[in-house]
Amino acid sequence: MSFLQSLKNNVRQRSIHVCYVNVGSCNGCDIEILACLAPRYDIEQYGIYVHNNPREADILLITGAFCEQWEDKLADLWDKIPEPKAAVTIGNCPVSGCVFNRRGSFVDPPVSKHIPVTASIPGCPPRPTEILSTILSVASELFKDYEDK
Amino acid sequence: MFSIFCYLREFLRPEWWKKFLFVKTAPLVTPPHYRDFPVLTGNECSHELRCMMICPAPGAIEVLKNAEGKWEPVIYKGHCIRCGLCVEACPDNVLTSGDILSVNEKEKTYFLASYHLNVDDSICMRCGNCSVACPVNKEVDPQLAYTATSSSNEVIMRIKNSKLTIIHPEKCTGCKTCEEACPNHAITVARVLEGFQDED
Repeated sequence: MSFLQSLKNNVRQRSIHVCYVNVGSCNGCDIEILACLAPRYDIEQYGIYVHNNPREADILLITGAFCEQWEDKLADLWDKIPEPKAAVTIGNCPVSGCVFNRRGSFVDPPVSKHIPVTASIPGCPPRPTEILSTILSVASELFKDYEDK
Repeated sequence: MFSIFCYLREFLRPEWWKKFLFVKTAPLVTPPHYRDFPVLTGNECSHELRCMMICPAPGAIEVLKNAEGKWEPVIYKGHCIRCGLCVEACPDNVLTSGDILSVNEKEKTYFLASYHLNVDDSICMRCGNCSVACPVNKEVDPQLAYTATSSSNEVIMRIKNSKLTIIHPEKCTGCKTCEEACPNHAITVARVLEGFQDED
């Protein structure tokens, strides 16, 4: 691998822009994302920046059990993100619908049947450390040697 | 002038540069009291299914037979909300999570489960399906069959004097098989779980 390539890999892993979208969660997982931003966990020290604009994002964080109104909107949002991109779901809701997945509720989990999901973080809600370590491990795999893919 | 000199001297220290470039907050460790997904302790499961009964999240826990043919609870990540109720409700301490078991031991707290059978005589049509379906009845009296009029008095319930009579409600394990077997929804099982603490 050339020196330039390794430099690119190194820099890409240290500048990850995430965009988060709530497709109908109870806000518990959103609060855990917020806790990641606070000084105690401080995701910016790992080079992860919250930048709520899909056109500039690398990783899309999804919370919530997928309400019906998101059917077309989430796919649009996913198309707007430039390559290389990854979707990471946070919490139980995008996986199973968790406590909202009952008879008569208007949710349509899992999110992975609407857009391709790279990683899921289970938990109701997951710990900020789990969110952090997942984003970091996804980013190092995803952005490594992107030109060759 | 002197202050500029002081700043320059500060910035020339290798220690300062090391801190500026590489400092991070201390790695955050999960505290030992944190209730993570329940894990097996190795105690043998007696298949009372209290974990499945108490679990508030749909599809989070199932008691299945493992490769050795023994009952074993299985936790499904993505469904489990890590409330720890299955750990607390288990009478055999099969599961563990965080410090739930040690706190229960220290504070002498425990759950006692009881099951109450209730029959609505106005809609019960005395078909005896509930008594035939009941797995406990099947164990006690294999003769109990169609219309449940066998003469054993050791079963939980049977048709006696052309009326569904509950004879031994204390033998019920709360499986709700009778509820599912009843065509009229006349029999209901109430699962009551009470928390207790020994004070001494």
